[in-house]
Amino acid sequence: MFDAIVVGARCAGSPTAMLLARGGHRVLLLERAQLPSDVLSTHFLWPHGMSYLNRWGLLEEVLRTTPSHTAVHLVNEGIALTGEVPEKLLRTHFEELHGDGGGVVTTHASVRRRVLDGILMDAAASAGADVRQGCTVDELIVEEDRVVGVRGRTRAGTRFEERARIVVGADGRNSFVARALGLAKFDERPRCTFAYWTYYSGFAPGGLQLHRRGRLAAAVVPTNFDQNMTLVWGPSEWASAFRSDVAGHFQQALSFVSPDLAEQVRSEGQQEERFYGTLDQAAYLRPLYGPGWVLVGDAESFKDQCTATGMTHAFRDAELAAAAIGSWLGGREPLDRALRSYEERRRSQNAAAYYDYACTLAEMRPLRHDELQLLAALRGNQEETDRYIATHADIAPVSEFFQASNLFLINDAARETSDQHAIFDGFAETSRSYLRNPFS
Amino acid sequence: MPSTPVPRTDEELVRIVLETADRALKELGGRPAAGPPADPGTRRNLAGSARETGRAVQEVSEMMKNWATHVPWDELADFADFGADDPAGPESFTRFLTDRYPEVRTALEDLVEPAALRITADPDEEYALDKQAYDFYRPAGRDLLRRTEEFHDWVEARRRTETWQYSRLLEAAPGSVAEISNDLGRRARGINFNSQDYLSLNAHPAVREAAARALGDFGPHSAGSPMVLGNTRLSNELEEALGRLVGLDHVTLFPTGWSAGFGTVTALVRPEDWVVIDRLAHSCLQQGARAASKNVVRYEHLNIEEVRRHLGEIRRRDSRNGILVVTDGLFSVDADWPDLLALQEVCHAHDATLLVDVAHDLGSMGPGGSGVLGMQQMTGKIDLVMGAFSKTFASNGGFLASRTPAVKQYAKMFGGPHFFSNALSPVQTAVVLEAARIVGSAEGDRLRARLFAAIDALRGALGGHGLECLGSPSPIVPLLIGNEKLARTANRFLFDRGVLAFMVEFPVTPSGSARFRLQVQAAHGPDEAREAAAIISASVEDARQYLSSAFRMGTR
Ligand SMILES: Cc1cc2nc3c(=O)[nH]c(=O)nc-3n(C[C@H](O)[C@H](O)[C@H](O)COP(=O)(O)OP(=O)(O)OC[C@H]3O[C@@H](n4cnc5c(N)ncnc54)[C@H](O)[C@@H]3O)c2cc1C
Ligand SMILES: Cc1ncc(COP(=O)(O)O)c(C=O)c1O
Repeated sequence: MFDAIVVGARCAGSPTAMLLARGGHRVLLLERAQLPSDVLSTHFLWPHGMSYLNRWGLLEEVLRTTPSHTAVHLVNEGIALTGEVPEKLLRTHFEELHGDGGGVVTTHASVRRRVLDGILMDAAASAGADVRQGCTVDELIVEEDRVVGVRGRTRAGTRFEERARIVVGADGRNSFVARALGLAKFDERPRCTFAYWTYYSGFAPGGLQLHRRGRLAAAVVPTNFDQNMTLVWGPSEWASAFRSDVAGHFQQALSFVSPDLAEQVRSEGQQEERFYGTLDQAAYLRPLYGPGWVLVGDAESFKDQCTATGMTHAFRDAELAAAAIGSWLGGREPLDRALRSYEERRRSQNAAAYYDYACTLAEMRPLRHDELQLLAALRGNQEETDRYIATHADIAPVSEFFQASNLFLINDAARETSDQHAIFDGFAETSRSYLRNPFS
Repeated sequence: MPSTPVPRTDEELVRIVLETADRALKELGGRPAAGPPADPGTRRNLAGSARETGRAVQEVSEMMKNWATHVPWDELADFADFGADDPAGPESFTRFLTDRYPEVRTALEDLVEPAALRITADPDEEYALDKQAYDFYRPAGRDLLRRTEEFHDWVEARRRTETWQYSRLLEAAPGSVAEISNDLGRRARGINFNSQDYLSLNAHPAVREAAARALGDFGPHSAGSPMVLGNTRLSNELEEALGRLVGLDHVTLFPTGWSAGFGTVTALVRPEDWVVIDRLAHSCLQQGARAASKNVVRYEHLNIEEVRRHLGEIRRRDSRNGILVVTDGLFSVDADWPDLLALQEVCHAHDATLLVDVAHDLGSMGPGGSGVLGMQQMTGKIDLVMGAFSKTFASNGGFLASRTPAVKQYAKMFGGPHFFSNALSPVQTAVVLEAARIVGSAEGDRLRARLFAAIDALRGALGGHGLECLGSPSPIVPLLIGNEKLARTANRFLFDRGVLAFMVEFPVTPSGSARFRLQVQAAHGPDEAREAAAIISASVEDARQYLSSAFRMGTR
């Protein structure tokens, strides 16, 4: 009999198991796959994601093999902004969410999952969790309407059965635990992006670059093995045209969004892997907990990749859920109350506002005139540029940046006028031309 | 160029699996698993399909396999091993095709053609619920008139879907119950939390009598700026009455509360001065600040330590220019108020001047109607106080109160809307004067007691339904919803269910913190308030179901 069984050993599951085990609880961590291995993701970690790793004492190990940076370069319709996430906003973020602002770092990194997830799983094992790979859970044991354990099979085909006081579903977007419980999805947002990416060696982009033009976007970030994760995305309505020629359209999209980046990739880049892609990124929420079970990570909620926050949010869930479960296991709080505090933070006003923000962005509509003017007005206003970046990453609340008096002040403080940016010439026609699918 | 040949994309491979398995299934003719096909040609074809399926799956990336964990990849990959003349025959493949494939097919199909992408939402409703007014704040193009049209299209979509909360019309006087029509002309009757008439003085006989008398004595028109000949002797009486209420002797009237705020800030602040303003202070003060100076610093709502820090920093750099610190008394969107003693002390310590806007609290709360000032024993101790008559005093108009005649004369001359706008009408002045008398009388105390009984009943009942009221008990009860879509939908339900409530969203509140602003009146009975709370709670719940929204309302 375990205190907790955690199903799935990646960004959500391993830290949950690790934190519970560090709290002295008996934890079983079950994972279907063999790690280290990859999972579909472009694996970018914003500074709050890195801060979690630091708070857990794992950052150093990640940084031994992974490049990190602080600068974020954004180019929207030719309007360039560079900034970084301020430490103060990070501290406030952690204080408000976890009641403790310690251990924050301002760097970001792109960590291959076959690097990161292995480190996370090993940390769970070192903390004392019983970690078993190649174990697929295929049944929940339910007694008197309460989940009391799991059954499954090992890779070799042997069946197993284990029981615990609580079962944590950390098994991703296609969560078995959620499906077995028959949990409905809430707040689904079908409009999302299609994303294709690959890995190039041979050049150094110097931190995160995010480019946006019309309904397309591109990102490049240095990652492990001296490679650069290079990604393009657009509205899912264009996906079927795009995939009729992935390699050709990838280059076409890159050239459209950022001719310079495209040129660099073409002339200096060595493609090291195949193109990966997905169009199945509709956002949703699921119920967070019930009798004997809790969900964390993609199992409880998914958002489009366009803001690159899924892994960091899986970390957040792990810390929140482990704190709640730990406080119950330690006899400090009844389970229901403990999990309600998890829910309050996960289904808060700020969380809802960010969900809307990310889902709206995922529709990939051309940037509006007012949005571009705001971005132009941010140039030269470092404090607000940094806050904009922090807001985009869900570090500062959407409601603080997108607040009338703040936007007025940004406008008033603007140093540049629209004649400095070509996009404002013939904006209406350009904007209309962006609606045409360039791949069909 | 890749340094080694790269494998095919996962999508290509999944499509191959789907095509191959579909073809094999057709070949089987949907035959039940009873017996294997006897025809050797068919058996060979099936074995070929099995191999093709298995090989394609073997080439699928680890990334994809670890993501789409509901697909039995390992089982599929094993099919690659069928030999051409395997004596066992492709039985296991046949069994898979007939038993398991339908389910697996759905899962695979979802990877390449997600069901979620076949969208069926009503485009009008989606458009109406998705956007915010700010999306249209800076339209493109040089034709000032034509570029308003995109916004209008959105308003029309909001109107068609009955989610446009603005511009409703009253069919009769707005009491505790009101009859209104929305801007499509549809009528509704309901418990009214939509009117800012906190002491219900609009219906008070003495107030109406005063209006009638003034109408008879002076007519409806003031016919001039107060600097010329727009004021009557009622105006002077009113200035004195207000001076007693806020404890500052020198009062100037403005035609609206908005212009009192805007006029005060722009009159006193020079372009090189500083304005340090609460982030949530009223729009008339924010806009006044912007119009007066580039040196505007916003501080976190109610945070006096932050004010102290800003004032310290400004004074270290600038000892020559003035600093105006600006706050509301009762904040109308959050129903809270600052610690005025501490704020005034911080201001004095840095040679800064404090301006407090008491539009919502003066008359409606505090001992003798003295508002937040009186509740904190600060009556007469604030540098500058301004207010509006439009909430408790049953009329348009606003005022600025100061300690010296010099400030008053200066604001009259340089506060644009005082000099350059027509004075309050005699009827309005008389109404406010009578309202001020009632506010300060024993009847005023009784009205406030009734008002607070209704407020307590409403807040208690909403809390009992699990809803979150912000702030402290005051005539404004902000009910936090958060998500704009949820608030707009709940508002649509409420309209037909007998509660009139105003929904506020961006730009009044920050994005993502929409709320209902319920404005309580002395005429509301506690039972009425409880009934309304039940209706509101049911509407929010139904809206949540309608949108299948999982978000609750905690603030962080
Ligand atoms: C295209 C794309 C790009 C993305 N880019 C980013 C990005 O740049 N930055 C970012 O932060 N996020 C990104 N995300 C999101 C991020 O990858 C996910 O949010 C994150 O992986 C969620 O972690 P998780 O632990 O919840 O789930 P997963 O990483 O999916 O892990 C679930 C684990 O559970 C295991 N499992 C499943 N079923 C069972 C079972 N029955 N028994 C045992 N084990 C089981 C699986 O094998 C798997 O290892 C991206 C997502 C996509 C699709
Ligand atoms: C705090 C505050 N100040 C000023 C005003 C403006 O008052 P009026 O409506 O009388 O112009 C209002 C009302 O909206 C207010 O809430």
